[in-house]
Amino acid sequence: MSLDTVATLVFSGLTSASLLFLVAAGLTLIFGAMHIVNIAHGSFYMLAAFVVASLTQSMAADSTAVFWLSLLVAPILVGVLGMLTEVLVLRRLYGREPLLGLLATFGLLYLFEGIALIVWGGQYRSIPIPHALQGHVQAVGEAFSIYNLFVIAIAIAVGLFLWWLLQRTQLGWRVRAAVEDPETLAASGTNVRRLFTAVFALGAVLAGIAGAVTGPIESITTGLDAQILVEAFIVVVIGGLGSVPGAAIGAVVIGLFETAGVIWAPSFASAFIYVAMILVLIIRPSGLLGVTERVG
Amino acid sequence: MTALPIKTQVAATALLGGLALAFGAPALAAETVNVGMSTSLTGPVAQLGIASKDGAQMAIDRINKDGGLLGKQIKLLTADGQLKPNTGVTNVRNFVLADHAVAIVGPVSSAVGIAEAGVAAQYQVPIFFNTSNDVDQTGKAFSKYAFQVVPSTYMEPHAMALYVAKLFKQHHWKTLYTIAPNYAFGHSTVEQFLAGLKQDGVDVDVVGQQWPQLGASDYTQYISAIMAKSPDFVFAAEYGGDLITFTKQAEGAGLFKKTQVLADYWPLALEALGASAPAGAITDDRAPPFYTVKTKEMDQFAQAFHAKYQRWPGTWAILGYSAVQTWAQGVQKAGSFDGTKVADALGDGPMIKTVRGDFKLRACDHLAEIPVYMGVLSKDVDAKYGRRVMADVVAQPSDKIMLSCTAKQAMQPQA
Repeated sequence: MSLDTVATLVFSGLTSASLLFLVAAGLTLIFGAMHIVNIAHGSFYMLAAFVVASLTQSMAADSTAVFWLSLLVAPILVGVLGMLTEVLVLRRLYGREPLLGLLATFGLLYLFEGIALIVWGGQYRSIPIPHALQGHVQAVGEAFSIYNLFVIAIAIAVGLFLWWLLQRTQLGWRVRAAVEDPETLAASGTNVRRLFTAVFALGAVLAGIAGAVTGPIESITTGLDAQILVEAFIVVVIGGLGSVPGAAIGAVVIGLFETAGVIWAPSFASAFIYVAMILVLIIRPSGLLGVTERVG
Repeated sequence: MTALPIKTQVAATALLGGLALAFGAPALAAETVNVGMSTSLTGPVAQLGIASKDGAQMAIDRINKDGGLLGKQIKLLTADGQLKPNTGVTNVRNFVLADHAVAIVGPVSSAVGIAEAGVAAQYQVPIFFNTSNDVDQTGKAFSKYAFQVVPSTYMEPHAMALYVAKLFKQHHWKTLYTIAPNYAFGHSTVEQFLAGLKQDGVDVDVVGQQWPQLGASDYTQYISAIMAKSPDFVFAAEYGGDLITFTKQAEGAGLFKKTQVLADYWPLALEALGASAPAGAITDDRAPPFYTVKTKEMDQFAQAFHAKYQRWPGTWAILGYSAVQTWAQGVQKAGSFDGTKVADALGDGPMIKTVRGDFKLRACDHLAEIPVYMGVLSKDVDAKYGRRVMADVVAQPSDKIMLSCTAKQAMQPQA
């Protein structure tokens, strides 16, 4: 296989990895801090894509400007929705059976899907790629889509931001403390409830960014929520539940593994990510960067 | 006011109830006749179900406006089949038992269609498949009550092969790549397409095949793998939302500039893609695009549809419309709404007049002898429809693309 082909395949693998990381990061952050398996995470992703579709459609004058604006507006809107979800529903379930959180967010997935169907209907929508990001750049004799480069750049930016937030700020310190020992953190004067609301909203915003960024390269329709969730979960499990760097590594592993599958065993390619997950779990049951579950 | 003795109350109620049953209820029921349609109204293929429901409703509106059928007004009852065979079966059973539906219009998914065909046969009510098109619906699941007005999963790929075979010879193409969703439809479509090419005398070199999951959101690796092989031709059996995602990502990678692609660019996908649909790509349609049928009837239908739903009728609406028309002609011919009489009237292969054109129902498998339409996506976005349209439309004749009656009867349950 020639160098240019390898470059193209690695590039497409990284594009997939970027999309997956953006969704998985929020999922793993919420699980890490709050121990909630948020099934409704895919809904935030889908709703953001719908919001971008509506905004770019209704303000067609200068699609590029509108696109940039909606890239900001959509994640904020789903962030607010995430905040409301935490305050109105999830807050009541802390300290109770973990299954309740799972079922509640599962119910929310259906609720949000129903709402999306009422508001946006059953039609497919498609967001045009903004002018500034159309076309290709040429390198090693191959064409690389500018929009895919943009997706990769956004994923890297979000990854760096999360690293900075969690490692270098007060909020990050508190989130990490909440993961380790929420009781002591509460005793030391931190409002853990508000912290959880913030973390959940941040997770929703991340799903929102993913939905908004992916919008122009996929068809937007109800059903997007559940589809993305499965792959994001696999990424999170591979990376280790609760670990943001793990999600990044998991996404790259899946992206490249899927690409390898597509080249070497096309008939089984769609099963490759499951194979990757099983392999990782056999070798490291807690995921690549996962910590073993605290007992008691 | 003094209360009536309890016995009198009971007697009066019973009498009134009896009277209502004897005269009132049947008199009311006689005004309208119900047709049931259980299809996908939510979920990933809802747009197909909703569009065919809208088409069926338009046909019924038209019949009612013209004075009804055998003097009765028709009512369309709908229910969401949710892509689940058992939900479809329950819906159909309710239509028949609770609503006394006299005909069923089919679902989107063939798995549901095959299940519903069983219930239709059980209750002796005719069922009309207008979207689901698995060859088994008129094969393994065949009964005298099953009718299909949409080209089958055998006819479609063979029509495409027939069209493409010419191009292969003309351009001396050799290499071909296929990509299709990883389930029965994708695999059988690719298999039949390749078999069709062989039948049509084309020797191709299949340089690669990809089978992404149905509903995948990411096709970038698949597209890269295709481009790495630089095939002369790509057969993409993706459709609906998957096709939109595939198209957007393939466009980004420059696939359409490098190779000739064939895919199911049906009107709903074209609407969503707008200008991003790839000009020059080869496409097919299960019904003639409405703007190519220059009849007064089609014109009236298209205008009325547009006035009611603010969009132009596409494949599914036209097929839904013609399914109801098929049933209505069966009723007229039988002079009755009775399921068995209607099935018998349609079963001997009559000519049916529909908005998409006239066709014969084949007696051996109750499949409409209809063409599959092939063409290329227009160079320019059509100003009136705000999207690219199918241009240079060619109808692939049914006799060249249908499975023979002998082969079909071999699939059918033996009586």
